Amino acid sequence: MREKREEEALNGNLTAMIDVVFQLIIFFVCTVNMQDKAIDDRIKLAMAPNGAVSNVKDPYEVKIDVSDTGAISVSRTILPASMLTTILTKARADAKRSGREVPVLIRADARVKHEAVKKVMDACTAAGIWKIKFTALKEKA
Amino acid sequence: MARKRRRSSFTAGELNLTAMIDVAFQLLSFFLISAHPVDVLTNLDVFRPQPDVISAPPPVPPKIIRVTVFADGFTINDRAVDSRGLLKFLSQLADLDKTQTVLIQCLNESPHGKLIELLDVCAKLKLTNLSVVSSGGA
Repeated sequence: MREKREEEALNGNLTAMIDVVFQLIIFFVCTVNMQDKAIDDRIKLAMAPNGAVSNVKDPYEVKIDVSDTGAISVSRTILPASMLTTILTKARADAKRSGREVPVLIRADARVKHEAVKKVMDACTAAGIWKIKFTALKEKA
Repeated sequence: MARKRRRSSFTAGELNLTAMIDVAFQLLSFFLISAHPVDVLTNLDVFRPQPDVISAPPPVPPKIIRVTVFADGFTINDRAVDSRGLLKFLSQLADLDKTQTVLIQCLNESPHGKLIELLDVCAKLKLTNLSVVSSGGA
């Protein structure tokens, strides 16, 4: 009889702990960011502490990475400048049919020469995209 | 003496929670270990000069601040400045009129970090009319 009461007390105490554990799991599952896998973390961004934080994520945004060696890539796929122009032209044509613009985000390494960034900007200009954003670090983790 | 038969702690139909708790703790440990602080990013907007649409010239020419980015410094309206001078002179110009167009010219040899530094100063001074053009080497 006494053992049964002890077992029941032990089982009852575990319930709240299981609830807390599941809540913690749900929290971390909801906060995990899978989009970070497409970001090339070898690119060291320059610091810009005065820039505004943009919390609105546009799904149609085109993120173009420029590494410190001048390699241009989109979602970790290295592209020549001519192909980038073709892709941007197509993206702009598709977006124009829906009545929206294509936001272009350039993530360039702080050490890369402007010559490489110029190629990306010229590709955007050739595709008819005039508004460009540069990504920088506001706060380092 | 007959031994009392010990009743099993789990009767048929009840769930053994032990394995589930182990899995839950393992999942929790995985997410705790794989979670990492994220950098806060900012996006700096610039415009590229568009081809001019045929129109009458404006009666008052727009005010333009010309900033050139070199590998080792900047010039503002052909006046050489360093990073501190950049903030100082741009803030003086911004105090006059924040709607002025800032025409940024980058040389091919200049590092991208210099351009971001300039854009950051413009963001601090609320100069939002920015246009980036590229020129050849020094």
